[in-house]
Amino acid sequence: MLPLSLLNAAQNKPMLVELKNGETCNGHLINCDNFMNITLRDVYQTNSDGDRFWKLKECYIRGSTIKYLRIPDTLLDAVKEEQVRAREVGRSTRGTGPGNRGGRGAPMRGRGGRGGPMRGGRGRGRGVQ
Amino acid sequence: MDSLIPFTTSGSLVDCVDRKMLVILRDGRKLHGVLRSYDQFANLVLEDTVERIYHENLFAESWHGLFLIRGENVVLLGEIDLDREDDIPLRQVEYHELEPFHKSAIELKKQNDDAKSHILYKQKGFCKEGGEGDGY
Repeated sequence: MLPLSLLNAAQNKPMLVELKNGETCNGHLINCDNFMNITLRDVYQTNSDGDRFWKLKECYIRGSTIKYLRIPDTLLDAVKEEQVRAREVGRSTRGTGPGNRGGRGAPMRGRGGRGGPMRGGRGRGRGVQ
Repeated sequence: MDSLIPFTTSGSLVDCVDRKMLVILRDGRKLHGVLRSYDQFANLVLEDTVERIYHENLFAESWHGLFLIRGENVVLLGEIDLDREDDIPLRQVEYHELEPFHKSAIELKKQNDDAKSHILYKQKGFCKEGGEGDGY
């Protein structure tokens, strides 16, 4: 699960975004893209000292200004379960449908492993040598 | 480190996944957590993250949880040796006890840096080019 896929999976979830200048924005994620640009709704913004607050209905944050995002702890487990389920579905459709072998199966395996596939790749490399 | 992997972000960090890591950010924050994922920009996903602050021979932790850190802000990522982790000659105290000392240390450092840059740029005529002000 790549960091940006996790962010994608966090849509509609509450999160805290800290910007490089130390300001923070608390809100629910509406949308995000591959540059980490995000839109939040019902935002509480604080200045870098944390002593002034603003409430915004909606805001857009350019990805390059972000320091980090804090997301709900439960999200990682939820996404893992979702992946397992997706893999199960992928396996069963691959088994029955003759049309979708190969192309769809391979990326599924790669996405599920989290670290595993890379080690697998390395193992193969060493075997050749 | 396996020499067959080229020196890329992915090649270097693959062995760190699911390990307890220390991350130092450009703003000086020190985060301890389990590295769950990363990408080619060194964006990191840290689980069960705590922030640690230090003052003299004391340290304190504050719980933060799940972090997604934008790679640009990372200075250092290091693995924590779980066998030796508890041997450090530091004493843990409550976060709220240590925080004021930590804050004043940061404030003092800022004052020093301001004084230094005042001398360099205003009196000695050095140029400010490219400096982001935090030494990185």
